[in-house]
Amino acid sequence: MSELRPVAMNLLGVAEHPELGGTPYRVDEDGRSYVPAGDGGIVLGPRLGESVFARDADHAAPGACLVHPDQDARHALTAYSCIGNQVVVRTGHAAGARGAVLGQRGEQGRVIAWLAPEDLARMRPSDQVAVRACGQGWRPPGFPGDVTVLNLDPAALEVLPVTAGDEDGTVTAGVRMTVPSKLAGNGIGRPSVGWDLDLQLGAPFRPEDGTAGLAPEDLLLGDLVAVSDLDARYNMGFRRGWLTVGVLVHGASPLPGHGPGITPILTGPAGALRARPDGAAHAGLTEAALQRLASTEL
Amino acid sequence: MKVTSNAARLVSQVLAGEVWPALADRHGFRVGPDGQPFSLPGMGGVTLGVHCGDPATGYAADHLEPGASVRHRDPGANMALQFLTCVGNQVRVESGPAAGAVGHVIGQHAYVLADFAGADMAGITTGDQVTVIATGQGLTLAQHPAVTVKNCSPALLDGLPGGTRADGRLEVHVAATVPAEAVGAGAGMVSEYANTDLMGAYAGLDEDLSLGLEGLRIGDIVALEDADHRYGRGYRPGYLTIGVISTGQCMLFGHGPGPSTLLTGPADAFHVVTDTDANLASWLHGGQEWSR
Repeated sequence: MSELRPVAMNLLGVAEHPELGGTPYRVDEDGRSYVPAGDGGIVLGPRLGESVFARDADHAAPGACLVHPDQDARHALTAYSCIGNQVVVRTGHAAGARGAVLGQRGEQGRVIAWLAPEDLARMRPSDQVAVRACGQGWRPPGFPGDVTVLNLDPAALEVLPVTAGDEDGTVTAGVRMTVPSKLAGNGIGRPSVGWDLDLQLGAPFRPEDGTAGLAPEDLLLGDLVAVSDLDARYNMGFRRGWLTVGVLVHGASPLPGHGPGITPILTGPAGALRARPDGAAHAGLTEAALQRLASTEL
Repeated sequence: MKVTSNAARLVSQVLAGEVWPALADRHGFRVGPDGQPFSLPGMGGVTLGVHCGDPATGYAADHLEPGASVRHRDPGANMALQFLTCVGNQVRVESGPAAGAVGHVIGQHAYVLADFAGADMAGITTGDQVTVIATGQGLTLAQHPAVTVKNCSPALLDGLPGGTRADGRLEVHVAATVPAEAVGAGAGMVSEYANTDLMGAYAGLDEDLSLGLEGLRIGDIVALEDADHRYGRGYRPGYLTIGVISTGQCMLFGHGPGPSTLLTGPADAFHVVTDTDANLASWLHGGQEWSR
């Protein structure tokens, strides 16, 4: 089959206002109640490159979460938006500011839009943000047929430590660490487009669950992380001998079964997709790279 | 189970529900592990011919819910029904040709799942009203403070084999032990609602998907390794969760037969005995009321 060209769509996102129920409390994995701060909406403070455990918050993402008032449109916005897609603020004090998609979150669906801190600080909930959605269905030239690329703008691949066309035909992704599939929490069994995968990296983390010499605190927002024995082509689920690589797009959560979340970008059999643990030397998706993607004239 | 509990202090609440229809959308197909499209029954409505003790997998079905799937129309009342109803609670049919039939709750799956004798089930359909006598939430075991009990009726607790051992641990009989790798959809959700889908139980599919769980039966008591369900469903090394398989065959990837949570705590608080008879069918005799 000849290569199919991706198309781009202009979609509308709206900066989210966080929502809580009639009681503010959630319950953490040790049974303590807490009030969830930072779970959606416009979150100031977290930056790409800081530890996913740097904040006392719940699923906090560095940027503005975009939604749509119509639920079906919200699912489409989340499913079609890809890492690196350009976003432009259309209304409000930050109108005209440009940023890029950092990733997605699940359940009802959210797009995490990264913007420069000074632009983000001028935004408020209900501001309209246009997303130039492009990337789903794209197959990079030179990639083996059994490695699937997803949730990635075609321009974003070159800013990530991913190489194809190795001597043996494999794709290699530089990652901070590889974790086993048993750490997969919320997001397992859900569609890999439009739902992130939380990694259960809380207090009970054991050294053998990660890369030697690294602790969960060494995971940074924007890092690439590999999950072994996970197939994320459609829904995400256990498959022996497979590998999935994702970008860490939000921070930790006190909720049992939750944690820092990855947006998956690569999945395939371990014979065709390889993770190279770079440990402390790893550089994943950076603010500088997103700034470049945001300012590129298309 | 020979164990001291606070069962005498619990109350029962009379709850109402309705047998909910099976639901679909106009797109019809969902996607299996290898991208295979499928459109298969199993969720909602009244699923016939599969009862406790029967194989959980091996059917042309998705999210197979044995028996009647029950909700309440009002969202708040529905959450009360889902949270308060426990495995083993009695369910009575109030309308339709099967009115008066009594069955039992076998689990939760975003529906209360009620098993009735086959002849009664044949007369139940979507829209029939049911009454649930809900009791069990709040059950505690004074001699086992590290063990949290949930979704377990006092009658079921009585029926389970095992109990307090001389060494202080709680003896529990299970039909199977489930590795942490098998935990699929349901991770991160509260443990009083729906259940934990288990992957690696896709009968008839490739070896790379198997975690050796194809032999599970509806009603099997299982032990989930490294699972802490005290405050939700999470991975925690050294913890153990005991559940009952309440749903069966799935084709949707990342899903599978699911246990509703019954007991959870540090693994060293339990003494687990593998017992192929550890199934609700061993204590639920043809839909007759259990002795207390």
